[in-house]
Amino acid sequence: MLQRKICMLGAFSVGKTSLVRRFVESAFSDTYLTTVGVKIDKKSVAIGERTLDLILWDIAGEDEVSTIRTSYLRGTAGYLLVADGTRPVTLDVACSLRERVTGLLGELPFVLLLNKCDLVDDWRVPAERVATLRQAEWPVATSSAKTGEGVEQAFRELADRLLDAKAPMSSPPQAP
Amino acid sequence: MNALPPRIAQALDNELLARHALAWLRVDAALKLAGTGGCLEHYGLDALAIGEPAPQQLIFLEGLLPLDESPLLIRSLELPGGHAVDLHCDAHEGETWILLLDVTAERDESRLVQQKAYEMTLLREKEAELNRRLAAANAALLAAQREIEASRAALQQAHDRLDQGLQEASAYVRSILPRPLSEPFDVDWRFLPSARLGGDCFGYHWIDDEHFALYLLDVCGHGIGPSLLSVGVLQTLRGGSLAGADPREPRQVFAALNRIYRMEDHYDLFFTLWYGVYSPGGRRLVYATAGHPPALLVAPGRSGMQRLATGGAPIGTVRDANWRSESIVVPPENRLYLLSDGAYEIARPDGTLLNFDEFAGFVGTLEADGHEGCLDRLLDFVRRQAGPRAPEDDLSIVRFVFRTAQ
Repeated sequence: MLQRKICMLGAFSVGKTSLVRRFVESAFSDTYLTTVGVKIDKKSVAIGERTLDLILWDIAGEDEVSTIRTSYLRGTAGYLLVADGTRPVTLDVACSLRERVTGLLGELPFVLLLNKCDLVDDWRVPAERVATLRQAEWPVATSSAKTGEGVEQAFRELADRLLDAKAPMSSPPQAP
Repeated sequence: MNALPPRIAQALDNELLARHALAWLRVDAALKLAGTGGCLEHYGLDALAIGEPAPQQLIFLEGLLPLDESPLLIRSLELPGGHAVDLHCDAHEGETWILLLDVTAERDESRLVQQKAYEMTLLREKEAELNRRLAAANAALLAAQREIEASRAALQQAHDRLDQGLQEASAYVRSILPRPLSEPFDVDWRFLPSARLGGDCFGYHWIDDEHFALYLLDVCGHGIGPSLLSVGVLQTLRGGSLAGADPREPRQVFAALNRIYRMEDHYDLFFTLWYGVYSPGGRRLVYATAGHPPALLVAPGRSGMQRLATGGAPIGTVRDANWRSESIVVPPENRLYLLSDGAYEIARPDGTLLNFDEFAGFVGTLEADGHEGCLDRLLDFVRRQAGPRAPEDDLSIVRFVFRTAQ
């Protein structure tokens, strides 16, 4: 049996915990409850003939005063970088995190997830910026923990990348 | 450093261990669980299998072992059971010791504070976003306002140019109107176009030594089009270039004008006309009208007033129409008033209209009383009837005084 640790990284209130809950329990709550420290969960996914146990480290988001503890990142095989499509500043945080994680652990499989795509009218992340990231070969996807759109696909995409770091994204979802 | 007395140190240890539900795990070099102890039940870890791989039984260890840094502290790690622990990892003699200390209470306390802080931050972000949108809306509004102002300025410029053109045209029309005369007739007039440029025009001139033509025309409507037509007709009458017509014969003049100025050829414009020819030798006035108000021939004192009109269609409206002329001997010192309908079709503020009879009556009164400045008094009378509003139609009045000597 394969087992891999992956971290959920991103600014606070981008929906990391909600994404994990949607992925693990197929549930969602509108009530925002901040994460302190880190929360561990597990979800098995079938990749071809194999089953991969994903050990999900849902790490408290970055804010103006606290940065993510590097101890949480030890031994991670990959990470899901989460930003809130309605708050462009969270994409800045995600990009900064990506830089720091790479500096600390080297290149690891990751997927950038622009969450809250159900809030179409409030979407503020410029399409040009997303296009630039894609041009830089960032795997970018959109999701909604609320509706479930793009969630399973994003975790599976990351799982694929864990097993084959060089595999390209099959069909990246488009930003709204 | 002063060591604590053993009894106190022991009491503190006991208190700490009880409060934080200490549990410990020991993992060997093959990453198999080698031993356990403490409050494992508290964390739901009481079914661990010694000798089996540790990361498979304790998922939070996945990726951590073997330690690449010792000791390692992972703070506030929430286990699947809901308890938050501080996880202390320490490599010792080929094995890894792992201590779990319950910090759920501290975590919950921190969460309350952090929750408030994040909510405040989110509110600030929302406020900033709203302010940004407001600023963008304001900027758009300002841009629209500037655009409107620019359009208004352009419109004003266009209006000013048009106004300038109208003023110049109006000045031109005035300039071609004849000057008042004092010899051999006393002739004066007042002209008040309703929209700066009107459809009224008038004139008088000697046809030959014995015949003096006098006329007033009113093109339907007002503005540039009617004004152009009225100027054209005036020039035609002045120039005497009426093919086949004797300018001394009003009905021939009307027929010739009717051929030249058919309304279907002139933008559907037509005009009314009072035209007369005075022969001083016999004091005879031959005249005709084409849909025009009568002229008023007023005897001096209170001896009477005649209305000089012959009926007939306006010029340009009926193809091959006929007009008739009439003649009259003008007694000495009689006054002749030519006027357009704008002189008496005046809407009063109370909604009633001044009519021709009232106007003629006032003219009679003025002349009977022998007032000086009759035309100004007449104009003043008309303006008073209109009240604060400007007259809606062009207003033209020409006054002739046929002296005794003629």
